[in-house]
Amino acid sequence: MLDVRAHRRRRLSAYQIVQITLGVVFGGYLLWRLFDLFFAHRVYGPETWVQFALSGVVLGSVYAIIAIGYTLVYGILFMINFAHGDIMMIGCFGGYFVFEALKAIPAGTASNPDLKLLDAQPVLAVVLAFAVGISIAALSGFYLEKIAYRPLRGAPRLVPLISAIGASIFLENAAQLLFGAQRRDYANPAAIERGAGWTIPVGNASVVLTYTGVLTLVLSVLLMVALYLLVKQTRLGRAMRAVAENKPVAELMGIDVDGVISRTFIISGALAGAAGVMWGIHLGLVYYFVGFIPGIKAFTAAVLGGIGNIPGAMLGGLFLGVVEALGPAILGLNFQLKDVIAFGILVLVLIFRPTGILGEVLSEDKV
Amino acid sequence: MKTRIRNGANAGIVFGIVTIFLILIGFTGTAAELISKLIHAGSLARSLGMTEGMFSLLLFMAVLGILAGWYGGRQLRDLPDTWSSVLVRSTLAGAVHGLLVGIVVYVIGTLNANGVKMTTYLPQLLPAAIKQLLFGMEPFPAVVFYLILLTVMGTAGGALGRVLGRGAWRHRFAEGWRRRWESLQHLPSVQWVAGHRWSRFAFFGIIILLIVLLPLVLGQYWNYTLGTIGIYVLLGLGLNIVVGLAGLLDLGYVAFFAIGAYTVALLTAPQPHQLNWNFWATVPFAIILAAIAGILLGIPVLRMRGDYLAIVTLGFGQIIAILLKSDIMTPFTGGPKGVSGVGGPTLFGRGFTDVHFVYLIALSVLLVIFVTRRLQNSRIGRAWEAMREDENVARANGINVLTTKLMAFSTGAAFAGLGGLLFAARNQFTGPEDHNLMVSINVLAVLIVGGMGSIPGVIAGAFALKGLPEVLRELEDYRVLAFGALLVVMMILRPNGLWPTSRRKLDIKAEDNAPPDPEAASSTKGAQ
Repeated sequence: MLDVRAHRRRRLSAYQIVQITLGVVFGGYLLWRLFDLFFAHRVYGPETWVQFALSGVVLGSVYAIIAIGYTLVYGILFMINFAHGDIMMIGCFGGYFVFEALKAIPAGTASNPDLKLLDAQPVLAVVLAFAVGISIAALSGFYLEKIAYRPLRGAPRLVPLISAIGASIFLENAAQLLFGAQRRDYANPAAIERGAGWTIPVGNASVVLTYTGVLTLVLSVLLMVALYLLVKQTRLGRAMRAVAENKPVAELMGIDVDGVISRTFIISGALAGAAGVMWGIHLGLVYYFVGFIPGIKAFTAAVLGGIGNIPGAMLGGLFLGVVEALGPAILGLNFQLKDVIAFGILVLVLIFRPTGILGEVLSEDKV
Repeated sequence: MKTRIRNGANAGIVFGIVTIFLILIGFTGTAAELISKLIHAGSLARSLGMTEGMFSLLLFMAVLGILAGWYGGRQLRDLPDTWSSVLVRSTLAGAVHGLLVGIVVYVIGTLNANGVKMTTYLPQLLPAAIKQLLFGMEPFPAVVFYLILLTVMGTAGGALGRVLGRGAWRHRFAEGWRRRWESLQHLPSVQWVAGHRWSRFAFFGIIILLIVLLPLVLGQYWNYTLGTIGIYVLLGLGLNIVVGLAGLLDLGYVAFFAIGAYTVALLTAPQPHQLNWNFWATVPFAIILAAIAGILLGIPVLRMRGDYLAIVTLGFGQIIAILLKSDIMTPFTGGPKGVSGVGGPTLFGRGFTDVHFVYLIALSVLLVIFVTRRLQNSRIGRAWEAMREDENVARANGINVLTTKLMAFSTGAAFAGLGGLLFAARNQFTGPEDHNLMVSINVLAVLIVGGMGSIPGVIAGAFALKGLPEVLRELEDYRVLAFGALLVVMMILRPNGLWPTSRRKLDIKAEDNAPPDPEAASSTKGAQ
């Protein structure tokens, strides 16, 4: 073995040449832009950078929550749950309807007769929105697996992927037919109105730390901690890890594999639902296609962190959010092309490091 | 008894949810319209004191109720198949079905009566539709009506299923037809025709005659539809090479379609570049550019397999779509407005009409079929199929996987470029909306419905997915929805498509003979 390697001539494969060329071109451009931005021209002041980074972190935490769902499912079934973004859309609609319903219930007081329950009880409203969004998304996740994926257990890998694409199209169009194609505004309680927040001085100017952003960030960190504990500490978590490791052996050890898979889908659906409500509260738009782009980006995040790897998904999500927020400014691109950055990163990661940042979990063969 | 109750109630819940969904997406109204058109029961409906729409809706609901009862009373392994068991389950299914539907109808009716504008949230629930849904009654009587109707229909459905579904006559009927078909095949005259070498030519002759004559008979609209089907056949054949033969799932296929379309558009249109080339001169450019793009996309994704490849190609497709839509590309590609005034082909100084376009597209399809068949049976075609089955084994057998993959990408892309150029020339316009993700998914669905790797399958799939919806225009709104559901159902019931290749048929047979061992199968698949 050793002498074979010693005698082999070292030659770059065509693929490595492509890698190196791309790396040099891209890295060079990046360095030049960074130099230009921070030393030569200084187009943006520090407050702009802080504002970009803040919005990036908040968005990134939502991506992270969605990405965990992808990673959990991929870790266990080796399939991309293409409809995951649409589960998020369902959660988003759930929260929307809770807010709309509360907006219709009068809770007038003597001083303010026009007050509605939504604005009178913002905590209740938010808790209820998350509860409803999470439950219906979890339920959809459960049934999605039961209807579209379970009958395909053991089929070639393309088959469940296509089924997932079908399920995604179905859910999107069902939402479009049910609720119409128009984009709807998410009616937040007055206390956490979008855009409102604490003003923090940075340098000579100031940045706004929005309430919705803080809410999103805190909630997603809590969810991530909860999920981490669930996977590492509980019986279900241990069963999930065992199933991810080796299904037949897990079954021999007395684990109900189908049950664990079902529960995995419930958990990933619940996370997607929470992300959907956060998305609605923070960004304020809901329509049938709302889950598609975040879904693909969260998948990118999951790949970035090494798919199948939960801390990786969290890190990947945050990283993607920040890069996406800073990227157009750093690369000098039009802000319309924000989405191109996410897809570009996806392509670059898969070319240079298909196992992701933290990913030693999968061998390259699986990619 | 307990199992019976649970089974019946479950069936009722499933059908209740489905019916409620159909009501909320407005499908019940559309179905009622279709039924009205079919049976023209206006006078009968009026004699019952209903409008025609209500009567048709009643019929549709009755059919749903019968189906619920049938499903609820179906034969189950752990239950006795006796009349009492069937009737208990189907009646219960009908009652639960009726109750669920009734509750929703009641809520909708009361909210509507209290002046809540339902269309704000559920745009399909127009006041007229709600009135039809309540059969012109007050909410509460309507609930009772639904409960009674669906329960009775459930019982009837259970009984019907028991009588029709299990009788020995059904078996005998199927057997009889099979025997008749076989004896037909063994008739000496049939065998003489099938075995004769001229019958092949006669078959192709009939097809070509049809292609020549059909567009002359059909109107403009149907010719347009035929042309669209033809373009999808082209795209399907191209993707067939990438996905069906080489096994590389490419979801960014629309990119090549866009490259073909935009090449022709930009070279021939007066705006934005004022090149005004002749259409025929642009054809090789469009095809070659698409093929080059295929290679360029192929290089970075060479090492990926399966679903990673799918997502990366999806990303590429999205990048192209976003670029086409963005303002920064406006000077080059016309931006979100697209390119209009695309020059069409001319022959002997005369422009092409719809009929000529159908001919042109059909000619291209025949050409591509010819090329595909030649490729498929050549060395490269066998290499593709070997690579699809197992990349490592293919490599071990001396196949250069890199060039083989790139060949697949570029050939598929070239076909898509051809499709794109015909599309742009025929529509005299191309814009970013013509090249969204749905095109990729539609083409993939054409392949899946037809059967991967099979040429007749692709044609059948294109007719089924692009032709059928044009026939059923009333159902246009529900087309994409049904299409999503169809993908899932096809994957579960017929993962090899309507017209699987003979190779795949062999594969399935081999699996059928093997002892069932799903776990082993899934573990080997998982370790790929």
